[in-house]
Amino acid sequence: MTRLFLHPLPIRIWHWVNLAAFIVLILTGAQIKMGDRLNLFSFETAVDIHSWLGFILIANYFIWLVYYLVTGNIKIYIPPLHRPLEFAKKALIQAKFYGFGIMVGDENPHHSTFYNKFNPMQQVSYLAIMVLLIPLQLITGLLLWDPNLFSPIVNLIGGIQIADTVHILLWIFFSAFMIVHFYLATLGHTPMAHIIAMFKGYEELHEEHGHGEEHAHTEEHGHEH
Amino acid sequence: MNKKYVSIFLVIAFMIFPLCISAAKGVPKQDEVQLCLMCHQDKGLTKKLENKERLSLSIDGNQFMASVHKKVKCTGCHNDISMDSHPRVKTINSKREYSAQMYKKCRLCHTDQQLSKNPLHSQLMARASCAECHGSHYIKGVKAEKVAVQENIYCISCHRNQLVMSMKNGESLSLYIDQSMVGNSVHGKLKCTECHAGFSKTDHPIRSFNSKRDYAILTADTCRKCHEEASKQFETSVHLSLLKTGNLKAPTCTDCHGAHGVASAKKDRTVGLTSCNKCHADMKPSYEASVHGMAFAKGNAEAPSCSSCHNAHNIESTTMTTKIKDGCLKCHKDAAKAHNKWLKNQPVALPTFVKAHFDVVSCAACHSPDAQRRIYLTLHNRKTDKPLPEEELAKLLDTEPGKVKDGIDTNKDGKVDGKDLWSMFTLLFKKGTAVTFKGTLDVSNSVESHMIAPKAEAVKDCTQCHLPDAKFFQNVFVAVKKSDGKPTLIPAEKDTVRSVFSIIPASKFYAIGGSSIELWDILFIVALIGGIAVPIGHIALRIVFSPIRALRRMGKGGKK
Repeated sequence: MTRLFLHPLPIRIWHWVNLAAFIVLILTGAQIKMGDRLNLFSFETAVDIHSWLGFILIANYFIWLVYYLVTGNIKIYIPPLHRPLEFAKKALIQAKFYGFGIMVGDENPHHSTFYNKFNPMQQVSYLAIMVLLIPLQLITGLLLWDPNLFSPIVNLIGGIQIADTVHILLWIFFSAFMIVHFYLATLGHTPMAHIIAMFKGYEELHEEHGHGEEHAHTEEHGHEH
Repeated sequence: MNKKYVSIFLVIAFMIFPLCISAAKGVPKQDEVQLCLMCHQDKGLTKKLENKERLSLSIDGNQFMASVHKKVKCTGCHNDISMDSHPRVKTINSKREYSAQMYKKCRLCHTDQQLSKNPLHSQLMARASCAECHGSHYIKGVKAEKVAVQENIYCISCHRNQLVMSMKNGESLSLYIDQSMVGNSVHGKLKCTECHAGFSKTDHPIRSFNSKRDYAILTADTCRKCHEEASKQFETSVHLSLLKTGNLKAPTCTDCHGAHGVASAKKDRTVGLTSCNKCHADMKPSYEASVHGMAFAKGNAEAPSCSSCHNAHNIESTTMTTKIKDGCLKCHKDAAKAHNKWLKNQPVALPTFVKAHFDVVSCAACHSPDAQRRIYLTLHNRKTDKPLPEEELAKLLDTEPGKVKDGIDTNKDGKVDGKDLWSMFTLLFKKGTAVTFKGTLDVSNSVESHMIAPKAEAVKDCTQCHLPDAKFFQNVFVAVKKSDGKPTLIPAEKDTVRSVFSIIPASKFYAIGGSSIELWDILFIVALIGGIAVPIGHIALRIVFSPIRALRRMGKGGKK
């Protein structure tokens, strides 16, 4: 059994703060938006928590951003779009694995390493989430937090209701995404493998799965191109 | 005592007068005057008229001798005085009647033809007796009068009388001027001609007006000469817009300030109250019962009257904007700070957060606790950020101004909703005009907007607006500004602001909860179900395929 280092400490902190903040933000968001149907918090409490956590989330985002920019490791999020066909093929293979291969006991075609953490599907979706969707959610949240303070931007996008629409649609997306994300996190070699790795930083590899072998293969494969 | 002497004197005079008179028959003028003055020089000589008025019979000899009639004998005018029987008892009903009778005496010398040469004089003659303007015994002659007399006194010499001017529509405008009223007014030191341009001691143009109202409206030009700033402000007012669109009831300068008794609104604060009440009497009870009205009644110098909030001259309709707030903020300067103590977002209290509310919510919406609230979606031009006038909208919708309601209800289902806003937005967009329905929260009528209660009673509960079914969001109206400044209000469905179709047309209006788009709630539930369905479906498939996995694992193991 070997250990594969995947998640450095800043990223682990970022991830779990993100998770906690997201869950509470989604719930307080639901309370704020659907106060006539939900009664988890009072309106004022929900808004206060939502505002505080919004700023915590912004700060937290910078942990992620600074870490990846400083280490230069942000490239793990960048799909090799200069080789689009190969990338598309790999993505298809990955999709086929989740859609069928996993049922019949195929090996996961992607093997994570520190420098190649994400499979093509993860790469595309995480890039979109981290670079586009979360910033959008944070910015629209800020606009809604004080529309008057940010009135030039609010006017530029056509009005505060537009900011709200973006914020709400992303709230819906993230709510669904988190469920699927959690489920996918259980699809490691054991249901808890990825989750424990996110705490410890290391993922334990079982020899019988031949990860080491596959890993070597991946690197070799990489060299070939 | 004095009366007694007068009576004795009169009795003696009565007895000896016929003797004097008979002796004086055929006496030269000078002597006749002296003879008359013997009695009439007495300052206490009066006659009690039938209506109990007292007519002075006293003549100042010196003044008479300085008059233009100095060469005329007394009996030249008083030709009905019989030298044989004077003073016989003559019945005179009133001063006015007497004065009118004496008019006939003037005509003995001054012929009608001569007097009617000047048409204005002819008009005056029909209204006033000669004496009313020219006086009686001390007439100086018009030329001398004009030179000697101060302009104002010259004017008033006619206008102190009950003169009237006939309007084309048959109305009569009183031209009577109360001298003391003018004297006490802020214009007390002005010459008449400073306002009444074109008039002077030598020129008195003859003008004619359609109606008294027409005359009053035209007077505004007179005021503009000095009150340029106020006039400029008035040009932007809803009152002038109303006048321009033919509503002649709308006030012009003199309706509030009066004509000759112009009061200083700065000194007399009731001007900004009483003048408004002439038309807006329906606001009076609510104002008087308000915290403002009560303070005003107590004499609090800082308590606002109408003009304190609405401005005096640049009054705008209050429905289209929340600008009226500037009126409140004039006195409540620290309002933003005071609100920011509780109206804030975590983690920092910013005044801009208060301003975001101030931009949309009228003061009365919270400070008039018993009022009904309304959401007004006011139609604005997105580019200019100004209200799109109903007339312009009607043109764009190919309809008449009065029928824009039907134009807005594009799907003709008898009610305005989000779909209608969207259809109208796209229709106008195609025609090159981008519009937006700006939202404001206000009370439902202007009476309520004056019922400002003490601070402690103001609404502080956020959920009155910030719940999807919020109480203050139950009545929604689309407001379109008419060119007279007032809005046309079109009732809309209460869910208009919660419709997904309203997002773009009303993109500048948003309130957490209140404008919460219903469709997104459904989408959220669907997304959650979808999110849960993915793992469930996947797990189910994995269970179904588990025998194959087991077989393959065994195979693999076998290989090993």
